[in-house]
Amino acid sequence: MTSLSTLAPRAVFRSTESTLAILAAAGFAALAIASDGSLLSGSSLETLFTYLAVPVLIGLAQMVALAVGQMNLSVGALGGFVAVAAGSVMAHQGVPAWLAVLGALVLGAAVGAINGLVVVLTQINGFIVTLATMTILTGLQYEVVGTATLSDYSPGLRELGRTSVFHIPVIFLVAIAVAVALAVYLRRAIWGRRLLASGGNPLAARLSGISNNRAIILAHCLSGLLIGVAAVVTLASAPGVNQSIGGDWLLASFAAPIIGGVALSGGAVSVTGTVLAALIVRLVDVARAQFSLDPSWVNFVVGAVVLGTVVITHRRGASA
Amino acid sequence: MTLLVGSPHGTTPTPPKPPKRRTFGRIAADQRVGLLALIAVLVIVFASLRSAFLDEQFVIFPLLRDISTLTVVGLAQLAVLSIGHLNIAVGRMAAFGAMFMGISYEMWHLPLYAGLVIGIAAGAGIGALTGVIITSSGVNSFVVTLAMDFALLGLISLVYSSFTTAAAFTVKPAGMNELRQYTLADVCVGDLCGSGAIPQLAIFTVLALAVVGYLFSRARAGREMLFVGSNPVAAELSGIPVHRRIIGAHALSGGLAALAGFMLAVTSGSFTAGIGSEFMLPSFLGPVLGGTLLTGGAVAVIGTLLGTSLTQVIRQGLTMLGASVESLSISLGAILLVALSFDRIRHVITLRKAVPR
Repeated sequence: MTSLSTLAPRAVFRSTESTLAILAAAGFAALAIASDGSLLSGSSLETLFTYLAVPVLIGLAQMVALAVGQMNLSVGALGGFVAVAAGSVMAHQGVPAWLAVLGALVLGAAVGAINGLVVVLTQINGFIVTLATMTILTGLQYEVVGTATLSDYSPGLRELGRTSVFHIPVIFLVAIAVAVALAVYLRRAIWGRRLLASGGNPLAARLSGISNNRAIILAHCLSGLLIGVAAVVTLASAPGVNQSIGGDWLLASFAAPIIGGVALSGGAVSVTGTVLAALIVRLVDVARAQFSLDPSWVNFVVGAVVLGTVVITHRRGASA
Repeated sequence: MTLLVGSPHGTTPTPPKPPKRRTFGRIAADQRVGLLALIAVLVIVFASLRSAFLDEQFVIFPLLRDISTLTVVGLAQLAVLSIGHLNIAVGRMAAFGAMFMGISYEMWHLPLYAGLVIGIAAGAGIGALTGVIITSSGVNSFVVTLAMDFALLGLISLVYSSFTTAAAFTVKPAGMNELRQYTLADVCVGDLCGSGAIPQLAIFTVLALAVVGYLFSRARAGREMLFVGSNPVAAELSGIPVHRRIIGAHALSGGLAALAGFMLAVTSGSFTAGIGSEFMLPSFLGPVLGGTLLTGGAVAVIGTLLGTSLTQVIRQGLTMLGASVESLSISLGAILLVALSFDRIRHVITLRKAVPR
C-alpha cells in the first residue's frame, strides 16, 4: 500500500471520474426511459456518438493547454481554418484525401507551435496571444472559403464519416483512440511527464532540468494537432464545411476539461474525466432535443454546471 | 545611443517629447503622445486617399459614436485589468444590463434614465457576483468569467425568447431617438453651436473617463485596486481589504459594460440578446494599446480612449479603401500581437526600474 499522502490526490481524481461516470450513466438511463427506449436504437446511438467525437477532441486539445497552465482560445478558429483549408485543396486543387488529412494535421500542429513560440518569445499571457491568433485565423478562414459551403470533396473521406462498426461511428472510435494515445503519452512518455511537471510547478521543473519553454511549445503544438484531428473529423462527418465551422467550439472546449476535473492551474490532467464530461454535455444537448426546449437551455445548464463545478471543487479542496 | 542627436534625414517629423531624462522608461511613458501622432498621421493618410473620410455626417459622426461606445467597453476591461484579472464575460454583462433596460422600458414603462440606472445596477450586480465567486473559490478570473459567460448567454437568450416576440425589446422611451441622432450642433450657447460631427452620446464616455480616471489617480479605493494588481500578497499584508477591492473592480467592470450595452442599444435602436457579442476583442485592444498592463498594477485611462480611436480609425480607413471584413480581423489580430510585444518590453523596463537602488 502506498502511504495516504501520496494516495490522496489520486483518490480525489478517482472520485471525480467515478462521479462523472455515475452521472453520465444515470443521465443516459433517464434519457433512454424518457424517450421510451428509442435512444437505444441503432440510429439514435450513432447520432449520439457521431456528434460526440468533436467535443471530445477539442476538450482534449484544451486540456493539454491547461496542463501547462496555458489556455487556447484559438481552438474554434484554428479548427475552422484547417477544415476549410483542407476541404478547399481537396475540392479545388484535387489533392488526394490522405494528403489533405496529413496536411490538416501538420497545419494544426504548426499553428499550435506558432502559438507556443509567440507565448515563449514574448512572455505574454497565452490567453491574449491565442485571442490574437483566433482573430487572425477567423479572418483567414473567411478568406479561404468566403460565403461558400464546400461539400464536393473526397467521397471516400465522407463515406468513412458515415461508417459505423456495431452502431459505433468510426470517427468516434478515432476520437477514443486519440484519447487513449494521449493518456498513454502523458502517463508514460518522458516529454509527457515533463509537460505535467512543468505545469504543476514550473520552478521545481526548471530546477530538475526541464525546459518550461519547451513544455509550453509542446503543449500548444499538441493542442493544435488535436484540433487538426477534430477538423478532419468535421470534414468527414459534417454535410459540408463553411465559415461557421468552429464558431461554437470555444465554450465547449473549456466545459469538458473543467467539468472533468482538470486542475486549472496546470499540472494535473484527466483524460477520462474530460471524455466523460464531454459525454455529459452531449447528453444535455440530447435531452434538450428530446424535450424540444430552446437551444439556449444548453448554454445555461452547461454554464451553471461549470460555475458550480469550479466552486464545489475548490470548496472541497479547501476543506480537505 | 542618444536621442538628442538630430535624425539623419533632418526633415523627418518626430512627435513632441517632454525634455530631459530621455531614458527608455520615459519614452515608454510617452505612449500616449505616440498614439496621438499615429492617429493623426493615419487620419491624414486616409483623408488624402479618400476625401470622403472627412465627411462629417456619414463617416466622422458614426466613427466617433463607435469610439465612444468601445472606449467604455475598454474601460470595463481596464477595471479588472487593474487588479490583474480578466473579464471574458464583458460582452455578456453588457447584454445582461441592456436586458434589464429593455425590460424597464417595455414592461415597467420607465423613463430613459431610470432604466439606464437599473441596467447599470444590474451589470454591477452581476459583476460583483462574479467577484464574490472569484474571491470565495480562489479560482482564476478567466475561468469564472468564462463560465459566467456561458450561463449569461443561456439566461439572456431564454429571457428574450420568453418575453419578446421578435427577440428584441423595441419600445423606445422618450429621448432615446434624440440621444442617437443629436450632435453638439444641437447644443448652442447663444449663437455658438458645437460641431455636427460629435455625437451627444459621447457625453457618457466623457463621464466614464472622468469617473474611472479620478478613481485610479486620486481615490483611495482605486489606488488600492492598483496595489492589489501589482502585488496581492503585499497588499493583503498592508491591511488592504483585497477581497473587497477585487469584488469592487468586477462590479465596476460589470457596470461599465452595462453602460456600453446601453450606448450600443441607443445606436442600433433596440435591445437584443446579441448586444455585446462583438465586445471581447475591442475590450482588450483599447486598454492594451493604450498601455494598460495585463499583469495588473498599471492602467491607462486616456490611453484606452486613444487605443480605441486608433483601432477604429484603422478599421474605418481600411473599410473605405475597400478592405474586406476578413482582412480587417486579420490586421486587428496582428495589431494586438504587436502591441502586446511592446507591452512586454514596457513591463521588463518597469521591473528593471523598480528593482535597483
